[in-house]
Amino acid sequence: MEKFDVTVIGSGPGGYPAAIRAAQLGASVAIIEKEELGGTCLNWGCIPTKTLIASSELFHRMNHSGALGLSAGKTAFDYAAMSKRKDEVVGKLRSGVGMLLKGNGVKVFNGTGSFAGRNRITVAGSDGKEVATIETGSTIIATGSESAMPGFIPKGERIVESKAFLGLTKLPASLIVLGGGVIGCEFACMAAQLGAKVTVVEMLEDILVILDSDVRREVRSNIEKNLGIRVLTGKPLEKIAAGKGVVSGMFGDEKLEAEMMIVAIGRRPVTKGLGLEKAGIETNKAGFIPVDEYCRTSVATIYAIGDVNGGVQLAHAATSQGVTAAENACGKMRRKAEKLVPSCIFTSPEIGSVGLTEQAAKEKSLNVKIGKFSFAALGKAMASGEDRGFVKWVVDAGSDQLLGAHAVGAHATELISEAATAIRAELTAEEIGRTVHCHPTFSEAWMEAAHAAHGACIHAAPKRKSI
Amino acid sequence: MAQILIFPKLGQTMEEGAIIKWHKKEGDPVKKGDIVFEIETDKAALEVESFFEGTLLKILIKEGITVPVNTPVGYVGMPGEKLPDAPPPAPKAEAPKPAAPKAAPRVEAASSVTRAPSPAARPAPAPVKAVEVSSRLFISPRAKALAKKCVINPSGIRGSGPDGRIIEKDVQDYLDAHGYGQLKVSPAAKKLAAKEGLDILRIKGTGDAGRIMVHDVERAVAEKPKVMSKMRQVIARRLTESFSTIPHFYVSVSVDMTDLMAYRQELKNSGKSYTVTDFILEAVTLSLLEFPVVNSYTDGASVSLRSSVQLGMAVSVPDGLVVPVIRDAETLSMQELHDVQQVLAAKAREGKLLPDEMTGSTFTVSNMGMLDVDNFNAIINPGEAAILAVASTRPAPAVHGGQVKIRQIMKITLSVDHRIVDGAVGAAFANSLKKKLEDIELWKSLT
Repeated sequence: MEKFDVTVIGSGPGGYPAAIRAAQLGASVAIIEKEELGGTCLNWGCIPTKTLIASSELFHRMNHSGALGLSAGKTAFDYAAMSKRKDEVVGKLRSGVGMLLKGNGVKVFNGTGSFAGRNRITVAGSDGKEVATIETGSTIIATGSESAMPGFIPKGERIVESKAFLGLTKLPASLIVLGGGVIGCEFACMAAQLGAKVTVVEMLEDILVILDSDVRREVRSNIEKNLGIRVLTGKPLEKIAAGKGVVSGMFGDEKLEAEMMIVAIGRRPVTKGLGLEKAGIETNKAGFIPVDEYCRTSVATIYAIGDVNGGVQLAHAATSQGVTAAENACGKMRRKAEKLVPSCIFTSPEIGSVGLTEQAAKEKSLNVKIGKFSFAALGKAMASGEDRGFVKWVVDAGSDQLLGAHAVGAHATELISEAATAIRAELTAEEIGRTVHCHPTFSEAWMEAAHAAHGACIHAAPKRKSI
Repeated sequence: MAQILIFPKLGQTMEEGAIIKWHKKEGDPVKKGDIVFEIETDKAALEVESFFEGTLLKILIKEGITVPVNTPVGYVGMPGEKLPDAPPPAPKAEAPKPAAPKAAPRVEAASSVTRAPSPAARPAPAPVKAVEVSSRLFISPRAKALAKKCVINPSGIRGSGPDGRIIEKDVQDYLDAHGYGQLKVSPAAKKLAAKEGLDILRIKGTGDAGRIMVHDVERAVAEKPKVMSKMRQVIARRLTESFSTIPHFYVSVSVDMTDLMAYRQELKNSGKSYTVTDFILEAVTLSLLEFPVVNSYTDGASVSLRSSVQLGMAVSVPDGLVVPVIRDAETLSMQELHDVQQVLAAKAREGKLLPDEMTGSTFTVSNMGMLDVDNFNAIINPGEAAILAVASTRPAPAVHGGQVKIRQIMKITLSVDHRIVDGAVGAAFANSLKKKLEDIELWKSLT
């Protein structure tokens, strides 16, 4: 039996920062990991996908740089080498996490954690045998989520979810992507940029439905026209079957066939075997662990952060909650978890989004103004040959407060952070408009869009006044 | 020639009211019968239809302003029609009369109490704005501008200028003394506070390091004093007047409703539906005829004994309470009483009572039977001598036929004006109600 002040279950982007923060505050900390340090984000999510996308993006640009006066000649890619580089990047980051935990005096337990009571956790090895028992003051559950694979999808080597797809060393020549959400669209773009024939099937009316329609339109038209992705929406894929060399399904009357299928239709919480009932922790219908605004579960000394609590499923949201939960567990004055969480989508073009969408403002009947500025009117975007896309602000019409920001186009995932800072600080459109932005940069678009919210854009012709 | 829309007089005693909503904008076409605006009197909110056809050319009286009845509020006519420069004056004849002198005939004095008050007696519904610099505040323009820029309320600042005038330095000293320089405010929060006319120094910040954020200002906005609805103001004024001028005393009795409830069920099974309220109203009417002094009114010097029963019944409505009146209740059969009661209650809940339907009651019943209460005391409606508070009917141990049994017990409490009614009469009246409600033979003869 070992005693710790704080025990963290799961070492993903929520869990390991929580452990480090608790250790910084002087607590004795244990962290339990059943697979690899870094969790889904580092090993099978954010990092490996972005590593592959870096290659696919560049490959695509190499092949489409004629307008910039460049020709790369005969281009080729080695997917096995790309995959190897991905493994190296992941390995480097993973060992970095291990060093950080060690450096902060966090004890790592390899195995599956399970509650034996509110303050007692057992750790079982891969063979199911108990390897350790921990007595803990507080516990932070950071077990994350996994891809949902509903029963109607047959099992087979050719039907994979994101984690298994990342293990491939050969890219399939054709691919059906089931689910037009963030994960599905990112994989679709990556494969298409490398020349695969890609079909995205989404049951809802459009892909990426959480976004405003103008943002969606920009992405969809680009991936259809420039990447040659077929996007089918509004109907489910039925009669899915996995044959020897082919997977197939029916979209309405049309039969779709491909070499492989990737299933990306949502993620479910990882709570199996956690023994939540032994600690008296409640879950909701979908199996998530609901928490209050301080990240506390129904048991006051037990916190749940990240995907497993059913909130925003984003690595950086988990990190923020993890740090908050660790501080709360260490008896600091309780802090509420941050509500304003920006999101980024690494499709082609990229998308960044934070705060209120125009759509949500309408649904809430808020009186808002929209300030939009197109990259087509931006010097730097033209110079870079990346003039697709735009940024826009959603602004409170009464107080001029910035409520939401959305960017689609080159560097959108980087651009969004300025907007997040501005919105969290409750700046007004006027202030962003008065903030000097470097020229020539993509960031200038925020300043121009803020002017546009007041109808005072310098670099866009005024809207014709109705006579 | 443009037609004048006037603020309608909807009842004998109605003297003034406010437009709470214009349903048409200037320039909107108006058809005969269209709802043009909605008014609120001290009794009710009502929709007003147009008698004219044309275009709403001008709105003279904006929403929220109290005006006497018959005041012109707008013009309807042909688009582009020229309007008179000055609005026509309100007819003088309808201006509120001064209060009747004390020596006036008794009936007159009695009715004047239930009449809507003269405008002077009512608190002016001025918009509440904490930072609104009153025109009476003795302050220099520079000081005023600084206060406005800093979103603070200068009215509490001591002036050091000539004759105590607040000068810029006073505002600056005030800001320094209250730590304005250390104050952290998000830009959007400051803008919102200025817009809402709040004093930023009075708002507590809950953001990082105590920074005042938008949600802090929103909380302050929600807590800001707001003008109560006309109805609430009337309730407040009338109940204060009653409770502070009438010496109340209370008599409670427990009524055994077991037999009446059974009889009511029996009636229901045979197709005749009565509510418990119907029986109570009927018992009250009969008892008032036996005890005219309970159906009276006194101003402390004279008493008027009413010859008929104008039975008020309190009905709760969103954000308030209205008291529709059953006219000449003593002339109605049980069935008629039931029908009138149902119609009035429905109108009350839909906000469709006319002011005349809510005035002139001589006794009121307040029934909280549906609200699950043991007992309560009501406040006498001004102009009356007593009010009956009816609590819930619920099973309780009671002595029945010499044994303790579970019976359906309802507590009723009579509030009485001690100036005119004494304890013995109050007790006799309460027991008269009890006796009637427990007398099944009586109900068999009445239903």
